[in-house]
Amino acid sequence: MERTDLIPGDARKAGPAAVMQAEGMSLMEKLGILSDAAKYDVSCSSSGVERRGDGTGIGNTSRAGICHSFGADGRCISLLKILFTNECIYDCKYCINRRSNDVPRASFTPDEICELTIQFYRRNYIEGLFLSSGILGSPDYTMELICEAVYKLRTLHRFQGYIHVKAIPGASPELVRRLGLLADRMSVNLELPTAAGLKALAPNKHRKNILTPMRQIQQGITQNKEELTLYRHAPSFVPAGQSTQMIIGATPESDYQIMTVAENLYQKFALKRVYYSAFVSVNEDKDLPALPGGPPLLREHRLYQADWLLRFYGFEAGELLSEDRPNFNVLLDPKADWALRHLDQFPVEINRADYRSILRVPGIGVKSAQRIVRARRSGNLTFDDLKKIGVTLKRALYFITCNGRMMYPTKLEEDYLVRNLTGEKERLPFDRDGMTYRQLSLFDDQQEFAFLQAAGS
Amino acid sequence: MEEYYLICEDSLEGVFTGIYDAYLKKKPHGQVHLCVGQEDNYRLFAVYEECRPDEGKAVKVARTIGRELGHEAYMSICRALASPQPDKGEAVYKTVVAGLSMKNRKRVMGNLKNPYIHRVFELARFTANEAHYHVEFLRFRELENGILYAPMGPKNNVITFVVPHFADRLPLENFVIHDTLRGIYALHPAGKDWYLVSGAQGEPGGRDGLENHDSLPGAISGKDHREPVPGAPPMPFSEGEEKYSELFTHFFHTIAVKERGNYGLQRNMLPLRYRKYMTEFQEK
Ligand code: SF4
Repeated sequence: MERTDLIPGDARKAGPAAVMQAEGMSLMEKLGILSDAAKYDVSCSSSGVERRGDGTGIGNTSRAGICHSFGADGRCISLLKILFTNECIYDCKYCINRRSNDVPRASFTPDEICELTIQFYRRNYIEGLFLSSGILGSPDYTMELICEAVYKLRTLHRFQGYIHVKAIPGASPELVRRLGLLADRMSVNLELPTAAGLKALAPNKHRKNILTPMRQIQQGITQNKEELTLYRHAPSFVPAGQSTQMIIGATPESDYQIMTVAENLYQKFALKRVYYSAFVSVNEDKDLPALPGGPPLLREHRLYQADWLLRFYGFEAGELLSEDRPNFNVLLDPKADWALRHLDQFPVEINRADYRSILRVPGIGVKSAQRIVRARRSGNLTFDDLKKIGVTLKRALYFITCNGRMMYPTKLEEDYLVRNLTGEKERLPFDRDGMTYRQLSLFDDQQEFAFLQAAGS
Repeated sequence: MEEYYLICEDSLEGVFTGIYDAYLKKKPHGQVHLCVGQEDNYRLFAVYEECRPDEGKAVKVARTIGRELGHEAYMSICRALASPQPDKGEAVYKTVVAGLSMKNRKRVMGNLKNPYIHRVFELARFTANEAHYHVEFLRFRELENGILYAPMGPKNNVITFVVPHFADRLPLENFVIHDTLRGIYALHPAGKDWYLVSGAQGEPGGRDGLENHDSLPGAISGKDHREPVPGAPPMPFSEGEEKYSELFTHFFHTIAVKERGNYGLQRNMLPLRYRKYMTEFQEK
């Protein structure tokens, strides 16, 4: 594939604001402004593609993704997450960079982005780059600058680590295509779950301008897979797949609406990942909800748990919620909640049940379920054996039998189970100071969930 | 009934030799035991024998494990032997015995009901987890001469599980990973294969690659026995080092969302003991 057409001749033209800002501001100041402005994007994942280095440059990627640090908010830091610029011609009400805000503005040059990425990468601070941007001049002009930075990184510096770029809504398909051939992952933010929400809070953005590039990227990926089966050396297009993000709690959609949107995105747009971002109030605006209790983190957490159930546990949104029950139970994780409404399907006999049924037991995660199926090949398992192979029984014990017997005499009865499953820890997860994620993640194989969650994979 | 205790060296070669010698005894395996390093609990009426590590025997055992029990089991065993736990030799020996008696030998590591296999599984998991932590949290600092230097202090002897990752990732860099607790250095000369050097013996020359750098730090080439401690590099850092470590530290602090502050989660995900080696946690 020809890549020489990648640097557009006019990329350096104009952008008066950018040029003005660039002078006199140190790299440190720019990094401060442009990472601060990027931090509300929740994704920092470096997963989805396994690529060894070819020995001629720097970098490789790991399918599971690699975290490199954890910030004071407990979130994984995997990528150098920055904006190209926080200049913006749009005025989205929830956004700190909106045109009408009086905030310090800055823009990187493509070379500065390369320098930071390479120097951070060789010290093992990061897995790669996550480049997003406000809109400088026009969507196309901004995308050209992003293309130039990423192109230089890939060719001049022979950088083979992870690159995630955001497609700017409204940019031309040609630019989306060029960028897709350089990036590992692309994302277009849905921003708000419904078109009505978008209209209310992001008047300059249109649902169509978001879904069109999303569709284009999806088709590009499918087509590329076919090319790759024909010619092994065809350049790859967005090999780590596409993701998106929506803001939770800024507009009035129910959990059911949100989960249905997510399910559609997975099924119809083949997204790798949907991120949910609890709304953090940064602007005073009459159209934004007041959030006296801070960002709706518990709600966000429940959505992630449910998202997990869709992707790895074979659940459907319609099994978890309905028009009549549109929101998740605050006290119980969605899987336990589902189990309590389907007590007829329990208890599950560990030595005979199929993998799918074991996976649906509260307290048993994917790894544990796999271990069980593997270990029972060499003989019937007892509760002791389960403990030995690392299955946490605290919650599962109410829902399983080993060789026809329960671990303790317990009742399969809703009230009793609710009392036992909402232990002291999970009951008040958002205590003023005492909140830890660990307390929150009484989901499954806790370790696994907390880790994957923080890793953003 | 006589019990035999074979005392082997704390290394892959040592334990594999021990297994070879244990089979040579032609006694029921229940009566033969492996100890690693010093045994301080001598029992009466037991026979203690020293096993001298023997490369030939060790290679035979390694081949047998790989062929009969499969690559996965072999890797688990290697990881288990990187553990500092004294019972690892016995666990590995009895795992090999159990595996060879199974009908489907390749499934040995799934048989977690066997306490020895379970122990190997557990020890291997500790090592794998710790190795993964180092892939994540290891930090290189650029020395005056351009070499990247990364100190670490792992509980398990993980260095050989960590270096290949970086050798693939940074093929054109001269880098050194230093296990400060064991005095082991992994040296990777740009564009060449990496190798291990033990700090105690030193490796004053004769190997191609890094020693051609006249400016190679003394502690690394073995000319000098200063014991580097975390934060105290073998030679001054480069100018760029200060600049980029400050930039990253700044980035690290800005990128967290204050409204979501959660030090508990941070501590769960990033155990404190790694922080003393990490650039972004250094006190100024
Ligand atoms: S387009 Fe909207 S969300 Fe994006 S930077 Fe501009 S104002 Fe913010």
